[in-house]
Amino acid sequence: MKSKNNNRKNNKTFEDNETIDYLIIGNSAAGLAAAESIRELDRAGEIIILTAENYLNYSKPMITYFLAGAVNLDMIHFKDEKFYTDNRLDIRLNTRVKSIDTNKMFLITDDGKRYEFRKLLIASGGRPIIPKIKVVGAGSFDFIDGTNYEKVGGIFTLTNLEDAIRVKNYIEKNDIKNISILGGGLIGLKAAEAFLEKGIDINIIELADRILATTFDREASGIIERKIKSAGSNIYRNNTIEEIYIESGKITGYKLKDGRKMECSLLIIAVGVNPDASFIESGSLDMVKGIIVDDHMRTSVKNIYAAGDVVEGPDMLSGGKRNIAIWPLAVRQGTAAGVNMAGRNKRYGGGFFMNSVELLGIPSISMGITNIGEEAEGIEVLRDFDADRNMYRKVIIKNNRIIGVILIGNIERAGIYSGLIRNEIDISSVKENISREDFGIIHLPTDYKKHLVVGEGIEV
Amino acid sequence: MKRIYIQEEYCIGCRLCEIYCQVKHSKSKKIIKAFKEEMVDILPRVLVEEIGYNSFAIQCRHCSDAPCVEACISGAMQKNKNTGVVTCNEDKCVGCWSCIMVCPYGVIKRDLSGKKIASKCDLCIDEEIPVCVQNCPNEALKFMDKDAKEKNLVGNKGG
Repeated sequence: MKSKNNNRKNNKTFEDNETIDYLIIGNSAAGLAAAESIRELDRAGEIIILTAENYLNYSKPMITYFLAGAVNLDMIHFKDEKFYTDNRLDIRLNTRVKSIDTNKMFLITDDGKRYEFRKLLIASGGRPIIPKIKVVGAGSFDFIDGTNYEKVGGIFTLTNLEDAIRVKNYIEKNDIKNISILGGGLIGLKAAEAFLEKGIDINIIELADRILATTFDREASGIIERKIKSAGSNIYRNNTIEEIYIESGKITGYKLKDGRKMECSLLIIAVGVNPDASFIESGSLDMVKGIIVDDHMRTSVKNIYAAGDVVEGPDMLSGGKRNIAIWPLAVRQGTAAGVNMAGRNKRYGGGFFMNSVELLGIPSISMGITNIGEEAEGIEVLRDFDADRNMYRKVIIKNNRIIGVILIGNIERAGIYSGLIRNEIDISSVKENISREDFGIIHLPTDYKKHLVVGEGIEV
Repeated sequence: MKRIYIQEEYCIGCRLCEIYCQVKHSKSKKIIKAFKEEMVDILPRVLVEEIGYNSFAIQCRHCSDAPCVEACISGAMQKNKNTGVVTCNEDKCVGCWSCIMVCPYGVIKRDLSGKKIASKCDLCIDEEIPVCVQNCPNEALKFMDKDAKEKNLVGNKGG
């Protein structure tokens, strides 16, 4: 699948030690958005993209769709091969970065090659968190963690396409009757849905007292939880895996924190994702968990930029810096980074968390701050909850501005809310309409309504 | 590019725009047949909002920095670099509704009639003038360049 490239320059060897104009680590949403915007402004500069993976590109959020059989490998890419040739992008697959010298501006890859660059974008995304869990029966090791979990048959993570393909193959080759999923977050639940459609028994283990605890409130979690249970899945809340049992190199079961012993032939670990910045030497760039960037996607080192799931960037709602690992912001950050790398000026106005997910036929969208105590000062909550119809609408308001929304069941026109949050619109004059089921532009404050209706199309 | 501009002062809420949009996006393209046999399956891609005498029709604004294109995880939502028209490739769309989450106009709909896909205005690319504009009896929708708009629209001041 390697990109065909007729550009003579791309055939040069690394021994040339030529300095690359634009070097991009990462071949997904942020990296490719950056490459595209660089190319729009700089027709001549050399752009090289490094990816640790073996695929031309694919949509990470769609790997659970692949698992469910809703898309195949031909449809999972979000940019086609022509995108690389049209934009003259030199893509290097299977190329993992080992270290970066931020003073001398070069990096070294796992295969020992050296890339000198004028400008660098780090858009390396995230990597799954693997908790350390005691194992019994493995022989050579007493614990699994991020370094060795792949050595056990039947234990997987689910953050990239390779993982999804491995899970799919494992299910086809082994007689899998039940699957356990550690983590009741978005990835875990989308995976559960994919397996439920295949008629496999599912156990979901969630450390918190409810699933989707970070994106939903109690009512919203409850709706999805009931639906998942009624589809045949078990949910173990306030729980985790304490011990994993292994026989002949494969997982056979585990012990829960509450003492119960469970059978298990396939375990998906989906407890979360951290920024993938393992190749960055501590102290060389300002970091927390992710790389700190300013409102132009600049890191603390000149000519090194970062974007996407690996960064801690401006958070509109708190005013501080935060890692918000979602697709739309990765694209927006990547675009801004690319423009700035090409020497123009584009400000990234910050973002806030948002997510759209449909589980077992129930669509849901959450955005902003969704789980805040109603007693907090200046906070007002409007809600419309109909548990029987699996319908829920919650709008959280702070000082007359919307800061968070949860929609379950009816997600029509959800984006009007995100516009209100982004533009910090004072909604005090129309508060009584904000949580209507038929909420629309016509209910908005006059000036903002006018801006939308007679305006030119929004500017981001 | 030419865009559809809204003159809400002229909208009488007759919803002919919605009807002609539905017919245009029907299989038969014939009004009676479309309404008798396909009605349930065809969503209008222009929405009329109405409270009392106040009404307007709105459809995709084909934004220059379109948030729906940014948010699309499948690569289905694309803005044509030459025409500026934002369209959803229905073969690629997986119905994740990210576009619905970010469109500040709320003009993208869930089409559940077949495979789940996002439904939105395609600006009737094969027509000289989009059918909603052609069939508006009161010129509440106008199709024109930005320059022409400055001269020709009433609702353009103080907005």
